[in-house]
Amino acid sequence: MVGRRWWTPWLWLAPALALLGVFLVYPVVDTFRRSFLDERSKGFVGLDNYRFIIDNPQPLVSDTHSALLNNVMWLTLFTVVTVSLGLILAVLTGRVRYEAAAKSAIFIPMAVSFVAASVIWRFMYEFNTDIGTVNATVTSLGGESTAWLQNTGAPHTWLTERGPDTLPRPVQINNLALILVGVWMWTGFAMVILSAGLKGISTEVLEAARVDGANEWHIFRRIILPILSPTIVVVATTLVIQGLKKFDLVWVMTGGRFKTDVVATLFYKEAFRIGDFGVGAALAVVLLLWVLPIMVISIRRFQFQEETR
Amino acid sequence: MFRSKRSRLVLILVAITAFAALGLVACEEEEEAEIGTVNVLGIWGDEELVSFEAMADPWETDTGGSMAFTGTRDITTVLTTRVEGGDPPDVAIPAEVGRFQQFAGEGKLTPLSACEGLEDAVRDNYPQGFIDLGTVDGVLYGFFMKADTKGTVWYNPGFFADNGYEPLTVDSTFADLVALSDQILADGTPPWSVGVESGEASGWAGTDWIQQILLNEAGGAVYDGVIDGSIPFTDSRAKDAWEKFGQIALTEGYTVQEGAEGINATNFINSTYPPFESPPEAAMVYLGGFASGFITDQFPDAVAGEDFDFFPFPGGGVTGGANIVYAFNDDETTCSFLNYLASAEAQRVWVGRGGFTSVNSQVSLDSYPDAVSRAQAEQLSGAEVFRFDLDDAIGGALQLAFFDGVTQYLANPDDLDSILSGIEAAR
Repeated sequence: MVGRRWWTPWLWLAPALALLGVFLVYPVVDTFRRSFLDERSKGFVGLDNYRFIIDNPQPLVSDTHSALLNNVMWLTLFTVVTVSLGLILAVLTGRVRYEAAAKSAIFIPMAVSFVAASVIWRFMYEFNTDIGTVNATVTSLGGESTAWLQNTGAPHTWLTERGPDTLPRPVQINNLALILVGVWMWTGFAMVILSAGLKGISTEVLEAARVDGANEWHIFRRIILPILSPTIVVVATTLVIQGLKKFDLVWVMTGGRFKTDVVATLFYKEAFRIGDFGVGAALAVVLLLWVLPIMVISIRRFQFQEETR
Repeated sequence: MFRSKRSRLVLILVAITAFAALGLVACEEEEEAEIGTVNVLGIWGDEELVSFEAMADPWETDTGGSMAFTGTRDITTVLTTRVEGGDPPDVAIPAEVGRFQQFAGEGKLTPLSACEGLEDAVRDNYPQGFIDLGTVDGVLYGFFMKADTKGTVWYNPGFFADNGYEPLTVDSTFADLVALSDQILADGTPPWSVGVESGEASGWAGTDWIQQILLNEAGGAVYDGVIDGSIPFTDSRAKDAWEKFGQIALTEGYTVQEGAEGINATNFINSTYPPFESPPEAAMVYLGGFASGFITDQFPDAVAGEDFDFFPFPGGGVTGGANIVYAFNDDETTCSFLNYLASAEAQRVWVGRGGFTSVNSQVSLDSYPDAVSRAQAEQLSGAEVFRFDLDDAIGGALQLAFFDGVTQYLANPDDLDSILSGIEAAR
């Protein structure tokens, strides 16, 4: 047996550690380093790149404030809507005979590549009513064709009077249109996980509650939700991280234009399109620092659950 | 069962490794040969790529070398990453010169003089304007091929003849263009089709309008000043060009897209179709010479000169873009390929296939396949004033700000002053 020597586990770990080092640790360290250097990563500029993010001196090319706000919006709206929809659908599909078919239909978007789905939705949102399904529907109902991906107006102005306005960002039509696509893609995921959690709830508990006279709403509110809450947290954490690092969907559908940039698209644009590696790296660091606490919380929770098991 | 699966897996892994090793050896051997493989990074795909490969064919046959092309629309990104990562291609052929100047300034590029005979061939046969653009700090690093005039207003000759509209000429003015638009509008057709959507680069089609108006109304000196920064975008002459563009795009009834929202949401390629539908949904579309390709793709039966044609953008000045060719090394293979690409012999191949305008003076006008492409070449070579595409000349963040300025101006024309100072902030 070779397993007794102290270095044996390290030997087996070495390939994984080497890969982690090359593809994770080194890039992270290098990104940190570059975030304090100038645009060509030559001279030291201190905190200038971070000041750029705070001061937002170039709102036309790289609107850092708008990107941060949009990320907040993705983080909250995308997560809340997807989890709620997933939960509702999990409960509802669990009660019908064609459960498998219904679930498959809702889960299918998850199986489509994100870029392909984004391309499909670009066509759905197309302004020309001969192509765009959404606008064809709207116009056939008597509405006017809307530039879903370009209109930065607030949603209520679309309902009342059309045209751009100066309401507080980032609640704007095109952001909502993008988030809707994200919700479409991820609801199936939330539904499947939550549904599995639902199946794990013992029917005896529910029977007992019914015998005690609880109605369906009470059962949902007082029994299902509390038992399901760890699962909901897991799903929500996954979605929060998804919302934070959202890139593909935004990049394919709008390229971050018309004030739809998120931090991930903006750092890509800064580093590789504009060639300012400093600001790009600083934005990446901001994103990392933002994701970090969420990851720590979820790992802590996971450990806690393991211990109490 | 497990054992056999596993041994098969091992076998596959060994096979892959062996092939990879063979591939490496093969590559190395090729590098050692006199003329090997030249790696080219460009923007072409589809038809254009087929034409470029046809152009490279004679070189491959003559020299025994081969050309490996990587095409991406996201060339700035790919190029930046590869240069930063120490793995540049042998030859790059992008459309934008901002990054080219940066690379040249950092000493990453090989001067044309490093290849025997190349610099002289370029200096002898290419227009001075293009030589100046390929020069950084007095050293010639690049030459231009596949030029595109952006002084072309496309229209439907049948529709114009039926309604008695006269195509404008070089001597016309912007006021004539507005008068023609009013006349067409009065007869019940939207005079223009305008679309600036282009994903991440949305707005560039509008910058073409603005640069063309700026050159004609304010002249070459002001145009150059905006590029080098001595005249800011906030200057009244620059602002005037924006407002004139706004006059076309935002006047009620002028565009089939019905104003700002539709223009921002309409893809530039799709915007070339309305004048050529039957019946025409708009009368004119302004977009560079490459628009003829979009029109013939959408309407395969359309005949150049009969079903679609262009008249010069009024004012006499012509803006245009071109692909710049530059190299990251002076290998024998690279030099041989560059010398070939710069030659009239090579460029005639693509010119004959259509969709290519050469700036090499040795490529005669007879080489063009039809009257419309010949007229484009004539417009480029015979322009009173020619200027390189404004946003491609500035590049980088300023270019993106210019794009964004256009889409924002269309949506909020009253904010023009703050938009212009916003663009200037990116300089």
